[in-house]
Amino acid sequence: MAGTTQNSKLQWLRNPGVLAALPASIFLLIGFAGPLLMVGAYSFMPSRSFSLNQIPTFENYISIIHDSYYLSFFWSLAMAVIVVILLFIICYPIAYGMAKLFNKWANLVTALIAVPILISENIRLFGWVLILLKNGILDGSLQSLFGVSASGLLFTVPAIILGLVYVYLPFTLFPLVIGISMVPDTLKEAASDLGATRWQIFREVELPLSMPGLMIGGILTFVLVLGSLAEAKILGGQAIVMIADDIESAFTFAQNWPKGSALSVLLIALSGFIVFLLFRRVDLDRVIGRR
Amino acid sequence: MLKNKFSRRNFLQQTGTWAAAAAAVGVLPNIAHAAREKELNIYCWEGYNSDDVLDPFRKEFSAKVRAEGLTSDPDAVNKLRAGETKVWDIINVNNPWAREQMYPEGLIKPISRERFEPYYNKMMPAFKPPYKWAMDSKGKELLGMTQRFGPFSFVVNTDKISRKMAEDQGFKLFLDPAMKGRYGLLTYDNWNIYHMCIAADIHPFKKHSKAEIAKFGEVAKQIFNGAKNLTDDLVAMNLALINGEIDAYFTGGTYTASPARLDGAKNIRGITPNSGPMDGKGGIVWIELTSVVNNPNPSALAEDFLEYVQRPDVSKKVAFAEGTYNPVTQMGSSDVLSKFSKEELDAIQWDSLEQEMTNSVDYDINPDYAEMYELYSAAKRERKT
Repeated sequence: MAGTTQNSKLQWLRNPGVLAALPASIFLLIGFAGPLLMVGAYSFMPSRSFSLNQIPTFENYISIIHDSYYLSFFWSLAMAVIVVILLFIICYPIAYGMAKLFNKWANLVTALIAVPILISENIRLFGWVLILLKNGILDGSLQSLFGVSASGLLFTVPAIILGLVYVYLPFTLFPLVIGISMVPDTLKEAASDLGATRWQIFREVELPLSMPGLMIGGILTFVLVLGSLAEAKILGGQAIVMIADDIESAFTFAQNWPKGSALSVLLIALSGFIVFLLFRRVDLDRVIGRR
Repeated sequence: MLKNKFSRRNFLQQTGTWAAAAAAVGVLPNIAHAAREKELNIYCWEGYNSDDVLDPFRKEFSAKVRAEGLTSDPDAVNKLRAGETKVWDIINVNNPWAREQMYPEGLIKPISRERFEPYYNKMMPAFKPPYKWAMDSKGKELLGMTQRFGPFSFVVNTDKISRKMAEDQGFKLFLDPAMKGRYGLLTYDNWNIYHMCIAADIHPFKKHSKAEIAKFGEVAKQIFNGAKNLTDDLVAMNLALINGEIDAYFTGGTYTASPARLDGAKNIRGITPNSGPMDGKGGIVWIELTSVVNNPNPSALAEDFLEYVQRPDVSKKVAFAEGTYNPVTQMGSSDVLSKFSKEELDAIQWDSLEQEMTNSVDYDINPDYAEMYELYSAAKRERKT
């Protein structure tokens, strides 16, 4: 009997689902959770130590609170919020067209937006540098054609926002296309038949029903911008310092792995908290069409 | 029967069993060790990883060579600390790291003095043996080979700021209110800290008082607040200088200015101050040292590679490899010097190299780097643009 109980306890191990998930789970544990745990553990090691065999301490977190790292967190958060809002405004009409209006041209538009992703982000941003540079493509063209100068655009916060919007546009757009395509045309027709104006249809039918796509695109972009670095460096001339830059500096020039780890933990916690809050409002099952 | 005996499943089972048995008796490690006779992994600043340098070595030694470019000295040393001594055979970083950190921490190992000191005899006079940075602190062990070097202070557009004025003013140029918004800051953080010390009239490589560290912090703020742009990309910085976006950049030298100069922008020039707080000197010179990593499973080709790069034709290739162009210590020999064209010598500012070396001290470790870095990074975050 004891043997039978033992067998039934271990029955779940023979479940094909568990067995099939085992390799991926082990891989995730080693490749994903492992490094995260290491970062977490390092964040409690004394400043500038290179091993985990030390007495744990909170000194890195205390020093982060006392120093001006709040500025980097603020700028990263501000950029993330601004870029997400701008991308919603830019992407909604494009996504609407792709989902409902462009018909056979939608594939071409998708390709045109997706192809640049295949080119390195740094190269694309450097292309923008050549455009915005003093005496560069934009400034030079305006000067020769209209005698107007457009210098002073590079190395500014708006240049960073431009770069972020440009780089992360597809990450907002494509989930939005899915979200909008989920809105049944019949509902809009019904609303129209019942006397709703175009604005009312948008506000009370289309927007709420496309919200899951909007949220997924927004969250994805928000998290990516929060951890972004290249745009502020290449286009912004570091007019502001993003938190990812502080983390990189801590791990390299400062040779302070524990502080870099503590900053990483705080960034992960911040992203996790925001994503958790937002996901409570999104029904993933609906997004992928299970219900 | 025979067919059954060598079925696919049977073959896999047998292979698995024999592999496990071989591993158990330690055969596999020997196989792996044997494989490293013709294998070499190089971690280096750009140049040593170029195919122009490596392909002839691969061919001559029938070697499988893997090379990766590094982006900062501390980052490279940290990778060795994190266990990558098992990966790399050769490491190429700036002078103080070998003697002050990597050798004491057991990350690199000495090379044969008998084999390599004759090469030091052929180098430029400043590098004759025993060369301080190539030796351990006791002066007994040879820790690597020097090759590329260069003065590194700041860069100006001489059409906007004359060379004489820049050399006379030194780093004080960047504290002049008239320069606000007219210069960039190349974010080679460790170099910036040293140069900000010089701007604050402090010797960067000595122990500092609290007052000196506070003064450094003030100067760091002033220089960050006056900078138009910050970037770690020397190409972007040169481009900004050529296009007139800025007139100078803080932290730079032959290494960063030479690509622009070889492209014809002769008005872009690395400047070494005529004077400063380092026993009267105002500039710093870096010297790369290429060392053998203390790899537990070492490559037999590591020292062969160090000897290979001393050859005149290879020395020239290293000096003018892709990316940046730099003088090499081997230019002390006419066999090497004769390989450079007039344009190439002009790109690396050969005309002023001796004077710049005289006005510079060697790159070293700053004992208060950690404390100064905190002030430096705060000034960067709190920069008012």
